[in-house]
Amino acid sequence: MTSARRATPTPTTPGPNRTIWIVGAVVLVIGIALVAAIVVSSSNKAGSGGTPAGSAGTVVANGSNETATVSITGTALPAFDGSVAVDPALGQAAPTLTGVNFAGQSVTIANDGKPKVIMFLAHWCPHCQAEVPRIQNWLDANGMPSGVDLCAVPTATTSARPNYPPSDWLVGKNWTVPVLVDSEQSEAANAYGLTSFPYFVAIDASGKVVARTSGELSMDAFAKLIDAARTGKTQ
Amino acid sequence: MSTATVSLFAALLALLCLAGSVTVAVLALMHRSRPDSIAAGVFEDLRPLALWLAWVVAVATTLGSLYFSDVAGFIPCKLCWYQRIAMYPLSVVLLVAALRRDRSVWVYVTPLAGIGALIAAYHTQLQAFPDQSSSFCTTAAPCTERYVWEFGFVSLPFMALMAFVFIIAMVLVARVPAAVSSRSTDSDLQIGVS
Repeated sequence: MTSARRATPTPTTPGPNRTIWIVGAVVLVIGIALVAAIVVSSSNKAGSGGTPAGSAGTVVANGSNETATVSITGTALPAFDGSVAVDPALGQAAPTLTGVNFAGQSVTIANDGKPKVIMFLAHWCPHCQAEVPRIQNWLDANGMPSGVDLCAVPTATTSARPNYPPSDWLVGKNWTVPVLVDSEQSEAANAYGLTSFPYFVAIDASGKVVARTSGELSMDAFAKLIDAARTGKTQ
Repeated sequence: MSTATVSLFAALLALLCLAGSVTVAVLALMHRSRPDSIAAGVFEDLRPLALWLAWVVAVATTLGSLYFSDVAGFIPCKLCWYQRIAMYPLSVVLLVAALRRDRSVWVYVTPLAGIGALIAAYHTQLQAFPDQSSSFCTTAAPCTERYVWEFGFVSLPFMALMAFVFIIAMVLVARVPAAVSSRSTDSDLQIGVS
């Protein structure tokens, strides 16, 4: 707290002044990094940028529908809470979803007399990213389950988050499960009570919810979910 | 510039910080063991620059983090915020220290940057191995989400970690007075002298 509060200036410069060389080297290396980043990323530029197509949905440059209008009928399921012993949604009729897949073809998830397992996936979620190839490997090994329809709903889709667009992600993983894309507001996921990703809902032949679960599944648990939908018995 | 370009550039800068920190550590060892070597000379010449280099890194990291949240639109998670809290003040503190040639600033900077580095290290391994925290993502910004993933290991917290480490290395380089410091007249701010 004296007047001599200013720290000591270095009183001399070193003999052979390499300081200027150090500064020059730092600037040069940063410049090389910048040029390298520009060159590499411009040569990597793929033709997929987000092109908003009004409120109806998002169609990317390759023509894929990443989000689209989903019409929902029926009563929304309560929000999923994994800590509750008995899920209040069990036995409730699942809402009907009508929308499109990545290619824009119409897809409906309705009470059509067939059991089904619906998976809600977020492209940016590392757990979904880990789960998708695991499920696909299981399906490749075991075949599509007989008598149970599978459907994936890419949701929480936004170009502001990594691994966008979800169509590139799922196609890249050779995903064979039918897809119904959610809306920009994730209305389908909300109607099914989604609170976290990945999220699975098993529905029996009468259109009633028999199981809901969230988080990465072992393939045993995935197979049990399919059995629950098929038999209509809650686990 | 696209986000991809900025991400790659930032990743390269992080690797430069890593290379710089390793180089400085080697120079410091050479300086200690062989004071007459060229490496020791380079180390001496680095001293007057060290605080400026630390400041440049702090500013680049601060601006980079603001770019990723406000321009690229990435939502910062909780751990990101803790690292920001440790990094942003450094861009001001180090400027003042560099202007004042305050070699003792390491006393203030190392705890702050050290805490930031610890959080960044935890966050880095969490993004590298996301399965340990939980098996699901919530709708809010999860700390496991890899907004940037260059070269198979460079994430945003890795960049923060490299910046913190480099800043710590630089303030420690500035700490020890140069060989000529016996001429210094100021005793008020010499607490860092070893």
